[in-house]
Amino acid sequence: MTQWDDSQAAAVSENVTDESSTSSANQLADPDPFETEKETVFGRDWIYAGHANSIAEPGQFFTRTVGDRQLIVVRGHDGESKAFDNVCAHRGSKMVEDTPMTDPGGGNRIQCPYHLWTYDLDGELRSTPKSFEDASLNPDLENEDVQEFDCETNGLNDVHIDSVGPLLFVNLSDDPPALSEQVGPMADRLESLSLEAADHERRVVEEVECNWKTVAGSLLDAVDRQDRLPGVESAETDLETDDHCWSLSSTDDDGRAQIHYCWPNVTIEVDGDDGYATCIIDPVDAGRCQLIVDYYARDGDGTEAEREFVRTSRQRRAEAIELAERRRDADGASTLERTLGPNEHTVHDLHGLAQESNS
Amino acid sequence: MSTQQQQHSTYAASCPDCDVDLHSEDPNEIVEFYRRHSSVTGHDVEFTRIGPDLVDAVTEDDLKEVYTLKDVVTQLEAEYENGVPIGAVAAAMSEQGLSIGETLEKIHEIRMGGGLYEPQDDHLRAF
Repeated sequence: MTQWDDSQAAAVSENVTDESSTSSANQLADPDPFETEKETVFGRDWIYAGHANSIAEPGQFFTRTVGDRQLIVVRGHDGESKAFDNVCAHRGSKMVEDTPMTDPGGGNRIQCPYHLWTYDLDGELRSTPKSFEDASLNPDLENEDVQEFDCETNGLNDVHIDSVGPLLFVNLSDDPPALSEQVGPMADRLESLSLEAADHERRVVEEVECNWKTVAGSLLDAVDRQDRLPGVESAETDLETDDHCWSLSSTDDDGRAQIHYCWPNVTIEVDGDDGYATCIIDPVDAGRCQLIVDYYARDGDGTEAEREFVRTSRQRRAEAIELAERRRDADGASTLERTLGPNEHTVHDLHGLAQESNS
Repeated sequence: MSTQQQQHSTYAASCPDCDVDLHSEDPNEIVEFYRRHSSVTGHDVEFTRIGPDLVDAVTEDDLKEVYTLKDVVTQLEAEYENGVPIGAVAAAMSEQGLSIGETLEKIHEIRMGGGLYEPQDDHLRAF
């Protein structure tokens, strides 16, 4: 397990004080804040949805659940990515089955299997069965009194979508702030890396019996400790913080590596020029979360460097999970808040954002 | 669940592709794990451990016939007051080599044909 290294423990932020604390165990695991978070975090903030390369062709789509909302993310005929609620405008039926980004669906239309209402890739209603055009089965209505459906108002519910390079983010609120306000300088760093040039190699999904913020805090420990990053043998580390994102980068003669944590629930680990990994920390309920990890490689022939990156990345997560579970086991029903040290400021910021969202 | 609890759990299932597993006392929790996992990976999940009582309940047959899924539900009905958990059915069917995804597909097919019904969500009785 990674140990603290005092030599790297210089104070890095003025925003951590003696008063700084994490959320208590009860605050983390209480189902009420989790229900609130569906609205105040996952309903308002930009959430990483998936990778644009997985829906390269018009009509390709994948599904993604954010909070309680099931979404379809689809490539339009105009080449743009679009997101809609996976809910038919007619009777509210779920339209497409769960479709992971790693095995995308496709087609020129989105059709609800219930009454065959059919939408185009812009979400507009394009056709309904003949039974919606006449009233032959309704003794109280004449055919000429049947109203024609307005395709626009009977369309699918749009969800805001934007991207950082090929990384697609969605926002469920009606009038969200710009994605750039949330991702800050992380966007420039990632966009300079040509992430779209790498191919998806592998998805690994595991579950942890901990609140999602406990796992997030453990993952951020590596950033606070300014660990040596995979692929870089010896280098100075550089920590950059923003309101909602924390980025740690290392550069040496052989390469550069970066770890980004973007509030609320995605990390991006970049292994120099070889590849990168995204990790979504999706809450299942107040006491359980799912880690969805995708590995991307620029040279997808399984080089030793790629294997080493995957191994190191998995090791880092395994350590974080173990630390999170140790905290969970020790917390029990504790109502105590935990005091943070002067260098644990990204964890401090994470819990600050969480507390802010629950207040 | 601690490592010690995991070693003594009645049910366990794993996804070989992701090298992850889940241990539980509740067979339906295994099915929920499968649903969550499959929805983001497309991977199926296999039982790696089922309780010995369940194995006995569906294999003690003088003729040693291979049970159909509906037979398994009928056989297990006496053990459960308000329907057989679909996880228990899936665990029993895993003895016949069916994955959880394959069992759920078969259950759906038989339910749509009227051969099974759900007295409560995710619990089955046979007609």
